[in-house]
Amino acid sequence: MMDCTAYRRSMMADPTDPDRELREHRDGCHECTEFTGKLLSFEARLKRALRVTLSAEEPAAQTVVPLRAKAAPRATAYRKGTFAMAASVLLAVVVAGVLWVAAPGSSLAADVVTHMGGEPGSWLQTDVPVSGVELQSVLRDSHVTLAAGAGLVSYASSCAFRGHRVPHLVIQTESGPVTVMVLVHEGVRKPLRFDEQGYRGVIVPVAGHGSLAVLTHGPSTDLKTVELIAAQVLNSITWTS
Amino acid sequence: MNDQVGGNQKQARFQRLCQSLRPDLLRFAFWLSRDRALAEDVVQETMLRAWKAQDSLLDEAAAKPWFLTIIRREYARSFERKRFVTVDVDELVAREEPLLAAAEEQDLAEMRAAMFKLPDEYREPLVLQVLMGFSTAEIARELNLSGAAVLTRLFRARKQLRVLCGEDTSLDPQE
Repeated sequence: MMDCTAYRRSMMADPTDPDRELREHRDGCHECTEFTGKLLSFEARLKRALRVTLSAEEPAAQTVVPLRAKAAPRATAYRKGTFAMAASVLLAVVVAGVLWVAAPGSSLAADVVTHMGGEPGSWLQTDVPVSGVELQSVLRDSHVTLAAGAGLVSYASSCAFRGHRVPHLVIQTESGPVTVMVLVHEGVRKPLRFDEQGYRGVIVPVAGHGSLAVLTHGPSTDLKTVELIAAQVLNSITWTS
Repeated sequence: MNDQVGGNQKQARFQRLCQSLRPDLLRFAFWLSRDRALAEDVVQETMLRAWKAQDSLLDEAAAKPWFLTIIRREYARSFERKRFVTVDVDELVAREEPLLAAAEEQDLAEMRAAMFKLPDEYREPLVLQVLMGFSTAEIARELNLSGAAVLTRLFRARKQLRVLCGEDTSLDPQE
């Protein structure tokens, strides 16, 4: 039987390890469940911190090999002046700022995807629902109730997301587990589709109630199916305020 | 004629592959070197070398580790060309401050600065795992370490990082 020290050491080496023994220990240990929650939250922030925006990622600055072959020789590249560096940093900040303002939706999608990476254990395919009490408790803060038509909810958690607690649900559908995030504080002007890091999904606007993110993991479900599921979930939601 | 068309298609595919991987490769080089300008040079050189050696990439699914290996070699070569005497972490953080602080949340900026303070042997496997999505076995292969050694480094990396970020570590295990 695994003890708490071994469990925590393993989790700190690889928080996404799906090992059965680890899961069994966590399920039976309150302190390790608490530890895991904090660690996964830290992990999600770490992932976002590492995805730093670098100037050359912007399309205009993206240089591919044939162009580089005509560029200045390497020795010159290493002798970049301070002014050039400062200018490029300034340009990067300006471009990043402009893109941030111009495309808030895509950064929202990126944050949703990053958040998924912190909760890999939620994607289990199962026919065991969460308890009604747990589900209500998670939905209550967002003033939401969910009708049975949405499907079997196998996971419900109140997650920290962009400074707010948001309901994070996993609903079992015919196409497999689908994650739903109720983003009351995040408005989008039009439906936003994304396909990033193995996650495929849509963020749809909800008039007066922010937006709803629905996404799947893996190649089996296409975006049209995700959109249909999003519409189905939206129809099952009742806003209580 | 057909050969030329095939060659062009192949080159276009390889170019698309480079473009799609470039942002993550650049991020990896940045966390490896902690220097944006050097990271850009290393990635450019990597792309050139990869372009010349594209025939040796037999499976596009293996492109990421293939590129990473070239980046690590190219980064090592930069040490041969330049003589780095000492590394002052505070100076590195100050130099890249506009980048590190360009986060919507203060704690992300703090975490980035803390990442700069992690020793290379802990920072690199952590970046490979968290940013690049490498498994323990893949990291072990890339860094020429045993799986157990990789896990130990990842554990120590997170342990140090959590302390540097001022996290509540009361439940963290001891060494």
